[in-house]
Parts: sequence; structure tokens; C-alpha cells
Amino acid sequence: MQAGLRNNPSSRDGMTTWLLVAPAVLCIIVLFIAPIGYVLLLSVTDPTVSLDHYRRLFTVPLYANVLINTFKTSLIVTVACLLLGYPLAYVMARRNDVVAIIFIVVVGMSFWTGFVVRTYAWLIILGNKGPVAAAYTLAGWGRPPQLLFTSFSSTLGMTHVLLPYMVLALYGVMRKIDPSYMRAAEGLGARPFGAFRHVFLPLSLPGVVNGCALVFTMCLGFYITPILLGTPKDMMISQLISQQIEDLLAWGFASAIAVVLLACTLILLGLYNRFAGLDRLWG
Amino acid sequence: MARHLPLVLAWLVAIFLVAPIVIIVPMSFSSAISFEFPPPGYWIGYYTQYFSSHAWLEATANSFIIAFGSMVFTLAVALPAAFGFVRHRFFGKSAFNLVMMLPVIVPAVVSALGYYGFLSLLGLVGTHVGMIIAQSVLSIPVAFLVISAALKGFDRNLERAAMSAGAGPLRTFLWVTLPVLRPGILVGALFAFLHSFNEAVVAIFIAGRDASTLPKKMFESIRLETDPVIAVVSTLLTGAVLLGVLISLFFRQRPENAT
Repeated sequence: MQAGLRNNPSSRDGMTTWLLVAPAVLCIIVLFIAPIGYVLLLSVTDPTVSLDHYRRLFTVPLYANVLINTFKTSLIVTVACLLLGYPLAYVMARRNDVVAIIFIVVVGMSFWTGFVVRTYAWLIILGNKGPVAAAYTLAGWGRPPQLLFTSFSSTLGMTHVLLPYMVLALYGVMRKIDPSYMRAAEGLGARPFGAFRHVFLPLSLPGVVNGCALVFTMCLGFYITPILLGTPKDMMISQLISQQIEDLLAWGFASAIAVVLLACTLILLGLYNRFAGLDRLWG
Repeated sequence: MARHLPLVLAWLVAIFLVAPIVIIVPMSFSSAISFEFPPPGYWIGYYTQYFSSHAWLEATANSFIIAFGSMVFTLAVALPAAFGFVRHRFFGKSAFNLVMMLPVIVPAVVSALGYYGFLSLLGLVGTHVGMIIAQSVLSIPVAFLVISAALKGFDRNLERAAMSAGAGPLRTFLWVTLPVLRPGILVGALFAFLHSFNEAVVAIFIAGRDASTLPKKMFESIRLETDPVIAVVSTLLTGAVLLGVLISLFFRQRPENAT
């Protein structure tokens, strides 16, 4: 505290600083990094010391397909979230009225309603006694198609669950764009869409990158929604981990899958960090 | 027409976001045993069932105890850390900043597997202590980010004024710094609480029977038996979240209005 009050912010009285920072950093090292290290250890020692789990994961086509399917699904979800999230964030950032407040409450509410609750909602909506099926029958199209427990329901559910993250990432950047730039462009003769395309859109790109990085990496390891809404036919990584543990008690193999998932996430965020700076991701 | 296109799209997306959550409310009053919409009839029987079910009430109590415990733990380490990171320079700061964010970077399944192994070595799987440890570490980044943001917007001249008027460092901190930062700290605390309250994946792996929380109990009910009480719990949770969002909106709006 005292050190911080001097005019020179680079003052280093080490003691105070470390007293402030050390508890949190130690907590994370001892109570977070150590458990993750344990997963790493388990992946090469359970049941015997070997790299067999990794070899299996990359050579057996079934498992390689799970990895490919996970990336494909995450890409679809990310694009869907971007297309849906952009107009909403745009309106939230550009307006200052009651509509903007309503949207902020809607996004905040869906952000803080747990994944399980929102996934459960889709079980009702897409279920064979749900509103979609009822509308289908009412329209006279006969028996509704199987919607639940398909890769469609899983993708739709994940898009719904992750959309608020995209909207908040976009909104965070868009809110800082000075509205006078748009007025200047229009004043200089640009049509509204031209002003958007040449001024607003480029300035909002950092938000697009943030949102996509956030949603894509969250989607890669997403557990709840694919397990409740998905199908074993188009498994995602998390479903494979759950299956290995619950059905086969294969902790070693499950740990190896988890390590690969962690590596994919860290590589992607590392790339993001090089180009954009990781500390901005949750800003 | 084209001028209104963004607004129309935004409304459609907002409805897409909120409609599924709203649809649960009539479901909780449904008299059907399975997921049937629209409900064939209405009653409040499942509310009675929820309030008389030992398992559901225990999970509710656990959720509150664990979220509260981890909120306190999280604040105790995240608040000083935010001061350290925002106001001081030290060796390896950017690397440590990354370390602080790890719990939200690492996918939840990976953390869950790690905690299961780690806590079973300590004999803490299925205990409140184990859950509080895991959940508070997972919410450190959330509280840290919110409090750091509040601290970055803090005008240091207020402290200088207090000090030059003769207040000591402790007095300045208690009477100037803390009261000004209070909204930010409260929002950080609320976010930490909600984060642990909602966390499901790690809970599914480590909560066991005795420390089972609502998200874990709901997840298991959905998979095993589709207990209609889930709709009741979802409705109550959604109501609580709406209240929380309105409260945090109120706290966030105030400093802006004040200046």
C-alpha cells in the first residue's frame, strides 16, 4: 500500500508485493497445477509406465475421429455464435436506451444460468413431447424427426449455452468504439451500411477474435451439453472421457485424452496470445 | 427497413437466448411426469415435492454452503492479489498473471480429473472441504478480474488527498480505498459465489453423495430418472439469477452515475 502511493509506480518494495500476490499464486500452484500434473502422471503410469495410451489415441481411427469431430463441431458452434452474437452485441453497444438494458439483462441472465439448467431446457424443447414436435404434428407433417440425442441437438445446445460469452466479448470491444466515427463517415457521404463496413466492422474485429477464441476453446472441452444432448455416434472429446471413466474405469486412458485436450487448448490460446495478448481475452 | 435490420435480428437472438429458460417456468407447474409441452394440466405438486425431498433440500443447502465458503476463500486471496498486480511491479508479473488465469483456461473436465485424483490422495473426495477448495480455486480468476478492473479505474488522488490531510495508510485504506472500491468488490464476490454455485463438471467428479450440489444432482437426475422436480429447481435458480443480475446492474450503474 505505502509503496503504491509513491509517485513512481515502479517502486519495488518486494516484501509487500509478495505478501499480496503470493497467497493467490501459491493457491493456484499447489491446488490447481499440482492436480493437473497428477493427470499428466496418470496418463503415462496407469496401469503401467508407457506411452501406449497416446499411441492408441492417435492410431485407432475411432479415437482420431472423435478428435476431428470435436474440432469440426467447435468450429460450427463458433461460427454460429458469431453470426448470432454480432447483431445483438452491435445493438447493445450502439444504443443507450431501455432496449439496450433489456438486452444486457437477457445476456446477463443467460450467462449466469447454469449450463445444466439451459441444457435441460433443450431436452424439453426438442423432446418427442416438446413444442417442436407438437408444432410438427399440428402442421400435419406426421411424426417429427428424431431431434434429441443427435449431433444437431448437441450443436444447437452448445451454441445456445456459449452464445452469451461471444456476445460479452464482442460487446466489450464494440462499446469502446467512438460513435462519432460512424457519424463522421455518414457525414462524409457514406451510406449507413458503408459506414458500418468500412468503419465499425474493422474496429470491432478484436472483439470477433476474442469471442471466437473464447467460444472455440470452451467448446473443445465442453462436458455437460454434449453428454446430455449428444449421441455416442458423433462423440466429442468430453464424451469419450466420460465413457472411458464411467463404463470402463480406464483412468489412465481418460487422463491421456484429457492431456491431449489440454494441449490443444493451450496451443490455441498460445497462438492467440502471440497475436492478440491473452490478458485481453476476458477483459 | 434496412435501418431496422440489426434491431430485428438482435431481438430474434435475444428471444433465442431467453425463450428456452422461460419455457421451463410453465413446465415446473406441469402435472405431467415426463417432459411434455404445453403441459396437459397445472398443479404445484412438484414444488411440494421439492420442499419435502430430503435429497433435493440437502443438495440446495450444500450448494449454498459450498458457494459461500468458496466465495470467502476466493476473496481472501483474490483481493490482495488484485492490489499486488494492479499497483506493483515485480519480477515475472506477466507469467504470474497467466498463472492466475489458469483455472479458467484449463478445460473443466481436465481440472475435474485432476481434482478427483488429487483429493482422493488427501481423502477429501465427497467432502465439503474438498468441494470448497476446488470451487474457490476455480473462481479465483473471476473475482481477480472483476476486482482488478475496479482497481484500475480507481483515482489514486483520493488516497493522496487523505494522506496529505493526515490519515495514515491503514486509515486511508479503510476509510477511502475500501468504500470507493466496495461496488467492485461486491460484484467480484457475487460473481465468485455464482461461479461456484453453477459449477457442474468438477462437482460431478468430486462431490460424491454427501457434498452433492444442485448442478450435480440435476445432471444425475436428468441422466437417470428425469425427475420432474428438475423443472422446479431450474425455475427457482433462474429466478435467483435474474435477481442477481438486477443487483449487479444496480451496483455497476452507480459509479457511472456518480461521476
